[in-house]
Amino acid sequence: MKMKKHFNKRKAMLSFLATGLMIIWACVAMLPFAFMFCSSLKPGEEMLRKGLSLTIEPGVSSFSNYNALNTYRDGIYWHWYKSSVIIMVLQTVIGLFFGSMVGYGLAMYNFKGRNLIFTLVLIVMMIPFEILLLPLYRMLIRTKMTDNYFGVVLPYLVPPFMIFFFRQYVLGLPKELLEAGRIDGCTDYGVFFRIMVPIMIPAFGAMTILSGMNSWNNLLWPMIVLSSNEKFTIPIGMGTTITPYGNAYDVLMPGAVMAVVPIIIIYLCAQKTFIAGLTAGSVKG
Amino acid sequence: MKKLLAVLLTLALMLGMCSALAEEEPIKLTLWTFQELHTQLYKEMEASWNANPDNPKIEIDMQVYPYDDMHSKLTLALQSGEGAPDIVDIEINQFANYLKGDIQLADINDIVEPIKDKLVMSRFNNYAKDGKYYGIDHHIGACIMFYNTEILEAAGINYQDIKTWDDYHEAGKVVLEKTGKPMCTWESTDCWSIYPLVNQHGGDWLTPDGQVRMDEPVVVNTLAFMKSMLDDGTAVGAPGGFHHAEEYYGEMNGGAFASVSMPFWYLNRFTDYMPDLSGKMKVAPMPLWSDGGHKSAQMGGTGTAVVKTSANLDIAKQWLAYATLSFEGCVKTWTILGFDPIMTEVYGAPEMKEPNKFFDYYGDDIFDMLKTLLDDIPDTCISEYFPAASDIVKQHMAYDLVIGGVDAETIAQSCAQELRDVIE
Amino acid sequence: MQQVSKRPNKVIAFLTSRKAVPYVFVAPFIIYFLLIYLYPTISTILMSFQRIDGPTVSTWIGLSNYQKLFSRNFIQSLETTTRYAFWDVVILTSVPLIFAVVLHSGLVKGAAFFKSLFFIPALTSIIVAGIVFRLAFGTQDTAPVNALVTALGGQPRKWLMFADTGNLALIVMTLWRWMGVNIIYYLSGIQAIPTDLYEAAEIDGANPVQRFFHVTLPGIKPVLIYVITITVLGGFAMFTESVALWAQNNPGGVGRTIVGYLYQVGISKANMGMASAVGLTLLVLVLVVNLVQLVLMGFFRKEDA
Repeated sequence: MKMKKHFNKRKAMLSFLATGLMIIWACVAMLPFAFMFCSSLKPGEEMLRKGLSLTIEPGVSSFSNYNALNTYRDGIYWHWYKSSVIIMVLQTVIGLFFGSMVGYGLAMYNFKGRNLIFTLVLIVMMIPFEILLLPLYRMLIRTKMTDNYFGVVLPYLVPPFMIFFFRQYVLGLPKELLEAGRIDGCTDYGVFFRIMVPIMIPAFGAMTILSGMNSWNNLLWPMIVLSSNEKFTIPIGMGTTITPYGNAYDVLMPGAVMAVVPIIIIYLCAQKTFIAGLTAGSVKG
Repeated sequence: MKKLLAVLLTLALMLGMCSALAEEEPIKLTLWTFQELHTQLYKEMEASWNANPDNPKIEIDMQVYPYDDMHSKLTLALQSGEGAPDIVDIEINQFANYLKGDIQLADINDIVEPIKDKLVMSRFNNYAKDGKYYGIDHHIGACIMFYNTEILEAAGINYQDIKTWDDYHEAGKVVLEKTGKPMCTWESTDCWSIYPLVNQHGGDWLTPDGQVRMDEPVVVNTLAFMKSMLDDGTAVGAPGGFHHAEEYYGEMNGGAFASVSMPFWYLNRFTDYMPDLSGKMKVAPMPLWSDGGHKSAQMGGTGTAVVKTSANLDIAKQWLAYATLSFEGCVKTWTILGFDPIMTEVYGAPEMKEPNKFFDYYGDDIFDMLKTLLDDIPDTCISEYFPAASDIVKQHMAYDLVIGGVDAETIAQSCAQELRDVIE
Repeated sequence: MQQVSKRPNKVIAFLTSRKAVPYVFVAPFIIYFLLIYLYPTISTILMSFQRIDGPTVSTWIGLSNYQKLFSRNFIQSLETTTRYAFWDVVILTSVPLIFAVVLHSGLVKGAAFFKSLFFIPALTSIIVAGIVFRLAFGTQDTAPVNALVTALGGQPRKWLMFADTGNLALIVMTLWRWMGVNIIYYLSGIQAIPTDLYEAAEIDGANPVQRFFHVTLPGIKPVLIYVITITVLGGFAMFTESVALWAQNNPGGVGRTIVGYLYQVGISKANMGMASAVGLTLLVLVLVVNLVQLVLMGFFRKEDA
């Protein structure tokens, strides 16, 4: 009896500590957002005056800063937004299409060269994109694909990390489904699109968020490829507000909040699918 | 019949005129810049150019890029011969990169020479090569001292009594003792503390024919002076490393330092980012070096250039001349951008005295002070290796001096050697 | 089955045949690999032996780029990157793992809530995160981190001015950003471990720590390998984070990584030949480190998973 009481007390204390640790990190995680949000309400000079502060002062804070997004250079911010969305959708949709196909093929079928190709996928995952930058750029110049959304999306069309992930996920699916589909008269492609894909929805969910996240925050490659101001994505656009001679804080902060809020909302809505997908996909890792 | 003919003719004439007017498609120009503020001046000058019926209508597509990105895209466009803009802002530290080999920028002697005597030509020499001018700056960038009179008065010092750098150092000691605050800050990651002082003292990083001057005695003496102020606490490293850091603005605004030496264009940093100092800041000439030197130096800037291969070369040049070399354009570099115009004639004009946020902040005597400096501003040597020299100053010289505590002689030697290595 | 005409049927029949189908599925990757990876990698290797003066103009200069490679800035960026990558791997693989284990243990109230929350930083713009952390690690004594450190009895410092403390700030920022992601990866692996393994170990007398090392770790090995691999890659190729934290300001070159140097040489100074040499060095570095890591983790002992 005494042992159990002691054990429960100990457990309670550990639970307290564990939860406490989580709370501390949760504060760390959310602090920058709180700061971003508070600063977006103040005029730029306030932010400089007080540095990192989390106050919302009634007289000074207001949503009027957000209007700067409309007036700054005739509302170019919204062009950036549109660009970012277009690129994100393009990159994610095409990436999902090809990534799932290849991952599925590697997992479902036993064919010659299967291991070789998977090894290639792994190797490719280990190559830093940055070293491909310059030759890819020269290639785009020669094929006149610069300043073009497709040029931006090109290196991401068949994402290795998606192939890897879909393969892991599909390895956990029953192969009998394929046989059953064939018996019913479907081509293998039919089986893939009509039977397998619906089962793979959690995986698609997970990859959508990861791909969307990568694309939304991608700076280097889009900056190199795009040259028209209206086609800039949000990261590039915000980069123009940061010069060696001073930053346009009035646009930067509201712009950052506007850029992150929709993503957070999408994430919160889709997270059940997302986490289920990631979990299942890593099972047979 | 005659009447009918007359009517028809008039109609035809009118139609002809209408179609001619309607047909006038504006000439399209592209302009690249990395500093969004400049576009405010350009837009204004585009509008007033178009307002004049004698001018062919133009439409300028202004593209703003991140700093590094713009310069690299420009290099690429000029190299490949495709996609270059008509007009482009090139920062002074990068300009020399575009004066190498086969220069792709158009020479603008034809718009500059006629009014040479009205301009501060040392600004133009920064963007020139072999007697040809390639870029026009919007300002002189004369270096001045910004004094926080509230702190100085608390220490019993009148800023107008400070004439030499030795006076300055002595005043600094008094200020430190009586208020506990440093007299000034030196940048540790940028060049606006070291280069102006060196240049004002008579030194520079390179000679026009590419010899390294970084280790000359004048440089060593300047660095030694700066170090002596660091050693006794009258100068400290700028918070955040440079005078455009958020931390620096915050601290300076809170009254942490008694003064700062920066080029004239720094005026709007105070008004925009340090509003609490309104009415307390005064501008004054830089102190003088007792062993010779100049009254000031000209620093920073952007050379606006025209690309040689532009399809609308003449119009581009003409508009640029109008925007930056006309009386009106020069006045507007003050009224819109808060810069010190390159045309000396402008300084007496009544438009320059109209109340604006700068006079409100600093008082009315800004230009009276500035005019005294204009006759003694040295050239800076913007040769082919200036960008490399500038990088070395920003990343190693400033850092070693302010953070590393290295002595002046060693710094000058090692940086000079590094520059020589690059030149090989 | 009606035959409309012989030809199309043959093609379709071929494409849908058991043999061809898998190849059709993986074809996109093959094309992609050749176009986006193989060709540019070979191109980079070739370009490193050239001087590039324009998109189509190049001259062979042999080993000249490599001879000039080891300049002060390059070596410094190599140092910076290696130091960062090392700590990145150490911290970003271990700390999230500990958190994942704690979250899984049932000791935490509202674990699912925390799990979701921790992921959110990964969604922000790096540029703004950089501003926030730059201000947090400011040089004044009143800056948040300095204030915290002083309150805990330590010394305030000029964090971003020096290599090692600057690195610390960078790691903290990276941890903030990727903690949630790695936690989710680890959790997915931990959740897959059958509980009877734990029970068996408990019966055998293993304490929690021993259970961790003998049941959990081996159980999540594939996930662990994956996380380490991408972290090594991310660490060596890091660029945007350092740009965001230091902005235009680069005290003594402290914030410049290999990729930062590559960008500076290749794009800012338009010396693509030298930049290619730098890039190759990076590639070799990453491949070597990852290969060593994979061998040590025993990835090559068993074929596939």
